[in-house]
Amino acid sequence: MVKVDLKFRDRLAEMIGGELHNLCYQCGSCVADCAAARYSDEFNPRLIVLKTLLGMEDDLIKPDSLIWECTNCFTCFERCPQGVKPIEVIIALKNMMHDRKFSPDAVKSIITSVVETGRTAIVNDTVKRRREELGLPPLKKPPVDELLPLMKPGMEGSDG
Amino acid sequence: MAEMKKIAPFFGCMINAKYPQFESSVRQTMPLLGYELVDLDGFTCCPDPIYFQAADKLSWLSIAARNIALAEEAEIDLVTCCSGCTSSLAEANHTLKRDEKLREKVNERLGKIGKEFKGTVNVRHIATVMRDDVGYEKITETVKIPLDGFKVVFHYGCHLLKPAEIMNVDDPVNPVILENLIKAIGAEPLSHREKINCCGKSCMNEDMPPKMMFDILSSVENEKPDCLCLICPTCFDQYDIGQIKMNRVFDKKFETPVVYYFQLLALAQGINPDLIGLKWHKIKPKAFLEKIAALAG
Repeated sequence: MVKVDLKFRDRLAEMIGGELHNLCYQCGSCVADCAAARYSDEFNPRLIVLKTLLGMEDDLIKPDSLIWECTNCFTCFERCPQGVKPIEVIIALKNMMHDRKFSPDAVKSIITSVVETGRTAIVNDTVKRRREELGLPPLKKPPVDELLPLMKPGMEGSDG
Repeated sequence: MAEMKKIAPFFGCMINAKYPQFESSVRQTMPLLGYELVDLDGFTCCPDPIYFQAADKLSWLSIAARNIALAEEAEIDLVTCCSGCTSSLAEANHTLKRDEKLREKVNERLGKIGKEFKGTVNVRHIATVMRDDVGYEKITETVKIPLDGFKVVFHYGCHLLKPAEIMNVDDPVNPVILENLIKAIGAEPLSHREKINCCGKSCMNEDMPPKMMFDILSSVENEKPDCLCLICPTCFDQYDIGQIKMNRVFDKKFETPVVYYFQLLALAQGINPDLIGLKWHKIKPKAFLEKIAALAG
């Protein structure tokens, strides 16, 4: 049974970029050059936006949602004649999923890395040696204490 | 000698902490083009345009705005050397300059650490500095060893070009900027069928990314180039070690050396190859370096 909850559209519209789903007239321009659609039997940005229009929250916001197959290539943003920017709607949906603790481990580990080290790459001994060999200055520690005040409370926690 | 122009480089995590040879190649080549790099203190990760943004967009914009605010305080444009960093910083700059409500929300957070986003500087990918400020002719003037007969296939990837209204680098369907940069150092640029297509790095599915990589690498191999040239460390990560990974998955023998544009420029400018770290690349550019040595005579 498909559950339709049109209030879901209001909640989506409160997210940055989420309100754009209202503009979609289902032309399918976003599908033609979609990198994920080219390689997936299921991923289809037009259908994702249709499901938002129909308020099919349970189909979108769930563990292992199909939405994470989006390659983030921004081609749909370029193609859409209505300014829906399907990728922005998808990012808004991802933010809703992170709030519900449905985001993949890769998301959580990047946040942990940024919060703890200020970077997404580890400064190991090999890199330090290579920098020295190239005559580059040693890397300074980024001011990580300035990051948490800029972040949504709880977004960094393993159960946040 | 003409006065040096100043730019503030934003190298980001991948270049600083994984591929310092790219940082070195930018630092070696830009002074010859008349540019002084001004290193600003206090940058953090841009932050990551895919995973971090997927968690919370406002937090992502706020951290990007903090990095931009550092450039604003120094009254200097921020020049990015990675397409991913450009994606985060250019979008934040573009959005926050236009969306007053979002700017207020971001500044409320930045206020907690004594910072403010004002919208007074530009964020630019270094490729556009090379085209618009330095100019192709000036690049050619600094070349000591023109890479004659050198076949260089180029790959744009996604975030250098899209979304075009934010990235402001080139036409997203028919770009020419990399082709022209390669011509400027005397090499022969080769297009390939999949040049603007996505490598799948950010697609969270086990089966799809290898197929995407296979198609792009096959398309590159088809041109029989001396090397594959990129202008983004994440693309490099995908295609250098990525060829070795794909060889295991598909029982293939992809072996095209991969270089960051500024490494190629450094070689053409006659800079010591030891300073651009090609020896650390997974696909060893042995034949490629021999060819360069022959050109240098």
